[in-house]
Amino acid sequence: MPREIALLDALVPTLLIAFMISVLLSWALDWLFSHLGLYQHIWYRSLFRLAVFICFFSVLGLMIY
Amino acid sequence: MIYIMKVLMACLLAMWLSLRFELDQPRTAMLTVAIVMQSRTGMVFAKSYYRLLGSIIGILVSFLLVALFAQERVLFLVSMAIWIGFCTAGSMLFRNHQSYAFVLAGYTICIVGLPATIAPELTFSIGVTRISEIIIGLISASLISDLIFPQRIGDLMTAKIRRRFSDFSDMLRAMSIEKVSEESSKYAAFRIVSDVFELETFRASSGLENDASRNYRLRLSMLNAEFMQVSTSFHSLEQLLRRQNSTGHTQVVEALFSLYQLLKAVISIEDRSIINEVEARQLAMALKDFRTTLHQQIDLVRKALPDGLDASERLDFDSGAELLRRFVDELYVYTTTYASLGSDAVTAAKDAIAEHPPRLGMHFDPLAVTLAGVRGALSLAAMACLWIFADWRSGIEAITIGIITSTLYASSPNPKKTVKQFIFGAILGSVFVYICNFQILPQAHGFLMLSLAVAPAIVIAAWITTRPAVATIGSGIFIIFLMHIGFNSAYSANPITFMNDAVADLFAIATSGILYALIDLTSSGWSRRRIVKKLRELVVSACLEPLPQRPSRLETRARDLVQRLDGGHRAANVQDKQVIDCLLSTLEIGRAVIALRDQMNEVSDISIQQQITDCLKGIAELYTSPSRRNQIYAINSINHVASALENSMLVIKLPQFTQHQLLTMLHFIRCALLDNDAVLPPHNPNVTSREGAVYAA
Repeated sequence: MPREIALLDALVPTLLIAFMISVLLSWALDWLFSHLGLYQHIWYRSLFRLAVFICFFSVLGLMIY
Repeated sequence: MIYIMKVLMACLLAMWLSLRFELDQPRTAMLTVAIVMQSRTGMVFAKSYYRLLGSIIGILVSFLLVALFAQERVLFLVSMAIWIGFCTAGSMLFRNHQSYAFVLAGYTICIVGLPATIAPELTFSIGVTRISEIIIGLISASLISDLIFPQRIGDLMTAKIRRRFSDFSDMLRAMSIEKVSEESSKYAAFRIVSDVFELETFRASSGLENDASRNYRLRLSMLNAEFMQVSTSFHSLEQLLRRQNSTGHTQVVEALFSLYQLLKAVISIEDRSIINEVEARQLAMALKDFRTTLHQQIDLVRKALPDGLDASERLDFDSGAELLRRFVDELYVYTTTYASLGSDAVTAAKDAIAEHPPRLGMHFDPLAVTLAGVRGALSLAAMACLWIFADWRSGIEAITIGIITSTLYASSPNPKKTVKQFIFGAILGSVFVYICNFQILPQAHGFLMLSLAVAPAIVIAAWITTRPAVATIGSGIFIIFLMHIGFNSAYSANPITFMNDAVADLFAIATSGILYALIDLTSSGWSRRRIVKKLRELVVSACLEPLPQRPSRLETRARDLVQRLDGGHRAANVQDKQVIDCLLSTLEIGRAVIALRDQMNEVSDISIQQQITDCLKGIAELYTSPSRRNQIYAINSINHVASALENSMLVIKLPQFTQHQLLTMLHFIRCALLDNDAVLPPHNPNVTSREGAVYAA
């Protein structure tokens, strides 16, 4: 995977794209969880959300590097 | 205390991250943190979102402007002034965080675009750096406020709603015959207006907070709309009682009060107001029962009225009873919604199919918005002229700060006072930054000492921002301190440049303060008159615009107009009172007119319809150009319809119920018009009130 991607002719780090994708993914998961009511079983929601996000981001980041 | 620690932590986190990523200007990230940090997590998210949006738009526009006019400084500044004017106007249009996005789109262009007039080739990298800094700041602020002792908006809203309900029922319970002549509830009306909009802000922000509260957002806005209606009805009822009390119809007042006492008994639980959703459910049940028996009660009291009363006094009683019935209905609906907040998940599905409540939309005065835009553009023009003609080295600095202050506070309730506070904060901030830059920073080595060097000022500023009365001083300190803090990637501070810039800052803030004072859109008599006129126009449109109209739309529009006048924290002076009077009478008459028109559609008789339409035209005329003559004309036309209706009883064309309803409504409007001095110009001594009284009889 290239480290930088040309987005409209501007070089953008691929990591930024990965960041955005993981934001979107964790939003989707978040929506799913709150609709299924799964958050009732979680003690510290925001910490959980952050952890989920970090998981996504690290997986994508490791795929790039 | 926790909040101050959170601000400090978020600032330091942002600083560390940007130093770690070797970005040019850690101060932008820190400034971002200082700006978006608020005590409630949801508000931080909302503000962050709009800050990001505003910055991105601002940066894109400045790329565009640089690409177009980079060589020509004057042309560049002119187009910038237009853009800033546009953004200032936009920030007046919207509320809260949306308005903030416009402010940012406005001043980002100064920060990114202006240096480009000197070195156009740097624009792109300045823009990219700025956006990265801002994102870092936003992430640190959001993380810290969400992870460390988060304070949810949901809890705050629940507390607010509970307090509002118990305040309101305290007000209901406090009303009595003795107190009816006082005008105490008018001040409550102002508070209600600001309350409604505050809750709306919270509601909007809570959408970004992932929490149970977002499940009942829809119900919250319904609650708001219902609350507005019920408070208007209560006010109308109170006005009606006061009117009859002062015109000497004491028997009618007593009869109505005996009905009201019953209601009072229902809404108190153990001789106090209810305090939570569970009790509200009980109250809703009780009100439901009360509603079904109210009709019989009214009949009973009506039969018990003494024989000596004439027809108009009986009409007085009927219109009062009708109003009371409407009030009880609305109170029942309001209480039911309130009670349903207690049981979240169960009714959530029901909401989805429920009718969408009216939105608190945008209702504004185009002229005021335009003037605000002109003001923003003017302050840029003033600074730019100075910069170009005096060849001032700190010109860019001055322009930037000037634009920030003149856009940021455009929508604040009292910009003059805010700017005064801001300038005081700026002076303090300059002192802090001087001490920090030239006494402490040169001796600091490493990140820890750097943090220690900047911490005191941040703590002090954060502490000041927690005091609502002087919060702007705190933000003044923050902005000035963090804009000039003397390190980028390495220590860089120069006493001479700093002094120049500090003077430029103060000068620019003062200039925008002067412009606020010159073009005063919020507290001058002129703006009050505009608002009063707008309110009257609402009544006119209620009279003339095609049906169907929703009373709740009238409510939100009227209240929105008044809310822009002032944050509602003070309601002391005479002019403010005049506006409130006008608001209340607008609501009263407007709703009565809409109800009358709805009822009118059920009448099949053409001639009566025609007459009512004429009389609506009369009222519209009165509200377009208020004068004694038009008032008398309107009242006469009402009298005309009323007598026509009474005659038609002989012919029996109408169902008796409809006819009775129409009569009571007309009577109510007539009384309200007679009493209403708020919409009219001050009494003309030549036309005595005796003349009016003759026509009224």
